[in-house]
Amino acid sequence: MLGVGSFRRASGRLAPSSMRPSEAAARAPWPLLLGGLLVAGLALLPVGYLVVRAMGADAGALDLVLRPRTLVVAASTVALALLVGAGTIAVGVPLAWLTTRTDLPGRRLWAILVAVPLAIPSYVIGFAFLAALGPRGALQGLLEPLGVRQLPSIGGLFGTTLVLVLAAYPYVLLSTRAALLRTDPSTEEAARLLGDRRRTVFHRVTLPILVPAIAAGGLLAVLYALSDFGVVSLLQFDSFSRAIYVQYQASFDRSLAAILALMLVALTLGVTWAEARLRRRAGAYAGVGRNTRRPPAVVPLGRWRWPALAFCAAIVGLALGVPTGTIAWWLVRGAGQGATIEFAADGALNSLILGAGAAIGSVLLVIPIGLLVARYPSRVASLIERATFTGYALPGIVIALAVVFIATSTVPLLYQTVALLVIAYAVRFLPQTVGGVRSALVAYGPRLEEAGRTLGDGPIRAFLRLTVPFLRPALVAGGALVFLTTVKELPMALLLGPTGFDTLATQIWDAASEGFYARAAGPAAILLLLSAGSVALLLRAEEAPR
Amino acid sequence: MSAPERASAVRVADLRRVYGPIAAVDGVSLEVWPGEMLSVLGPSGCGKTTLLRLIAGLEAPDAGTVEIGGRRVAGGGAAVPPERRRAGMVFQDFALFPHLSVRDNIAYGLRGDPDRVVRVRELLELIDLVDAAARMPHHLSGGMQQRVALARALAPRPDVVLLDEPFSNLDAALRTQLRGDVRDILRASATAAIFVTHDQDEALTLGDRMAVMVRGRVEQCAPPEVVYGEPATPFVATFVGISNLLHAERRGNVAVTRFGPVRLVGPRADRADGRSLAVIRPEHLDVAEVPDGPADAGAWRVLGRRFTGAEILYEVVAPDGERLWVEAGPAVRRLRVGDSVSLHLRDVETVAFSIGHPVAPSSAAGVASPSSTPGAVVPTPSARNAGRG
Repeated sequence: MLGVGSFRRASGRLAPSSMRPSEAAARAPWPLLLGGLLVAGLALLPVGYLVVRAMGADAGALDLVLRPRTLVVAASTVALALLVGAGTIAVGVPLAWLTTRTDLPGRRLWAILVAVPLAIPSYVIGFAFLAALGPRGALQGLLEPLGVRQLPSIGGLFGTTLVLVLAAYPYVLLSTRAALLRTDPSTEEAARLLGDRRRTVFHRVTLPILVPAIAAGGLLAVLYALSDFGVVSLLQFDSFSRAIYVQYQASFDRSLAAILALMLVALTLGVTWAEARLRRRAGAYAGVGRNTRRPPAVVPLGRWRWPALAFCAAIVGLALGVPTGTIAWWLVRGAGQGATIEFAADGALNSLILGAGAAIGSVLLVIPIGLLVARYPSRVASLIERATFTGYALPGIVIALAVVFIATSTVPLLYQTVALLVIAYAVRFLPQTVGGVRSALVAYGPRLEEAGRTLGDGPIRAFLRLTVPFLRPALVAGGALVFLTTVKELPMALLLGPTGFDTLATQIWDAASEGFYARAAGPAAILLLLSAGSVALLLRAEEAPR
Repeated sequence: MSAPERASAVRVADLRRVYGPIAAVDGVSLEVWPGEMLSVLGPSGCGKTTLLRLIAGLEAPDAGTVEIGGRRVAGGGAAVPPERRRAGMVFQDFALFPHLSVRDNIAYGLRGDPDRVVRVRELLELIDLVDAAARMPHHLSGGMQQRVALARALAPRPDVVLLDEPFSNLDAALRTQLRGDVRDILRASATAAIFVTHDQDEALTLGDRMAVMVRGRVEQCAPPEVVYGEPATPFVATFVGISNLLHAERRGNVAVTRFGPVRLVGPRADRADGRSLAVIRPEHLDVAEVPDGPADAGAWRVLGRRFTGAEILYEVVAPDGERLWVEAGPAVRRLRVGDSVSLHLRDVETVAFSIGHPVAPSSAAGVASPSSTPGAVVPTPSARNAGRG
């Protein structure tokens, strides 16, 4: 699952302007460098291991790649990803425009509502659609008295695309909205003065300027679809993620799973590269002009107001209304059974432990990385920083699989322990904390600590007394983000969790895939509430840098 | 330059635009002739950018009319949209289209023009950027972006080019050079231009005429040397260049100041004899050093110094507390703070305002001055300002 970090990566690269050149060249103390290298090593381990393992596989590896079944999986994955990309653009771009540039009634409220699905885990939406429209779902229950025995299946390419579009369109929405807000209104005025009518200006100027941001958002959605495990496994669509899992579960020869995983990694890296390029282009467009802070003119919708409202309502209804309604419906139905709450409490406690552990872990790990990058910038430091992003950019199922391989073959003692899961989460979600900590360290500089040193503190004592207090907001915000992401994470919990160790995510997934919708409703409701909390965090992050 | 039989490039009459309780443009009337450059000078927030946007059609006036090329485009029932006004605009931040190359930016307004290629080439040569035709805006320096923005605005041969603070986004060294470039380009294209600025050097050097604006009104519109030499209001006197406003007694064409009589020029209308404020520029006064000795009761004392590169300005104070700015020529030894000097009025002509004549509030008067308010005590806030919300 992708997180917020993808949005921040582009903006996070700050120049350490507060430093003099002599300091910029300073050598990092070796314990710091060692710590940084260790973290980078941990982050690179899964991919490194997969590559080694695939290279070590017998000569049949290429045959496995070219097997018809593998090719079908590859084709399905690409088809799904492309459809999701197109769908999210079709939904996200109009929503972005309506909520920034028009007189849509209730525009501010819509702007928040349409962004909320970003925080809802895809498998919760997937579960909701299954529980509403699937076999033995709510709709069928309602229709049964009317003689309806079976509804058309919601699985397959169509259903999977629909659910993933609803889960991932906010990436396009936010990316496009940011570009719309950044665009200098004078460019549109200039076009009008050069003889174009309003509508012509839209397709000659407004839209072309947005294209890189729209495409980058679309590629994030494509990445989301490539990486998603929950929806494709619940709706039983054979994309790479599900095929890897099925292969892993079914056989003891895990080479095929490793090769599938590497194919997925290759796809993901290609898309990530393209996304970064487009985002740079979007940034360059935004850098031209724009010193005036005049808000752009509001476009009156006129008689298009009602269709526009209906469109917003339909999307919010599908992406928010259906999950909320379905979960509520099954909560009420399951309330009679009594077990629901207790069942959810069990998973909630485990999720809490994991989330807290991962948050603390990544906050500890980020300090050497942040110090290296902010105080001792060098080629090595930036390589270390980039290395920490690799795990984050890769699908969870791939990381999970690699960690299983590594644990079983090198440290079996750790395999199926909570500790391993916590470490894996802390390393994987580390990038969510790096940006904030680095900015804070760059902003405060080493002066305070130097003052402390002249007043008799040792280096560590000065750091703890003088710098850590300023880092606290960044550490808390980063830790909170890691906590939320960990709680919502599914494939790693599924593959790495000890037997019988259920989290909210695995509870929903287990119950939903077996059709026990009422049992999944409790944990799903808790996750929905948590998601609302993370949206609040996100919107604050979106507002802050401008 | 104004041949009466020719139609003006732009004519603005009684133009008014109100935002809530504030009149951003409050009854402005102006006329610009073909080929003429009019600079509009005013402190920030005086309504000069709104004036441009009203002419361009990016805002609609609440009252008054705009004519471009002899054609009514706003007011009196007319509301021509910006795309059909034949007005080009150079925005403060240039507003180049970031997705189009230099060539395509310039060609933007030439859609459907069969001579497009030739015209773009012509303009590229005019702005001396032929080699950069294929480059993207984010690969251009600020000065290049500026020139492209100007070429883009000129391409469709508009009746007037409007420039909104065209140099404010450039660093100081580039500014002076581009000022010359822009003037040459506009002259070569013989297009009328209105450009707004808060920089008086720009306004003085670039405009054939200049309009001084404050609080939505034009206080004076005249050639720069007239605005400087015969300011129409105390605000203009203190905003354009540095002025000392000295108490004086007006008798016909002469004002008697503490330095003696000075000849007056300019219109006599509404300027009655009696108590007045005379405009004494720093260069109107000769400075002579008084050798140190027993304190000369009549001597002025140096309070501060401002070095502008070409000249040195001194702030001096009289025993009675009056403060003035004076300019010391190269003949005078560098003075130090605390030195005693004597001042003598040169044989100059200036203007004087009757006391009671509107005087801008000290905050506005101080904008272009080295210290708060040089010169004499400023009379109470004028009736004109008090009358407005």
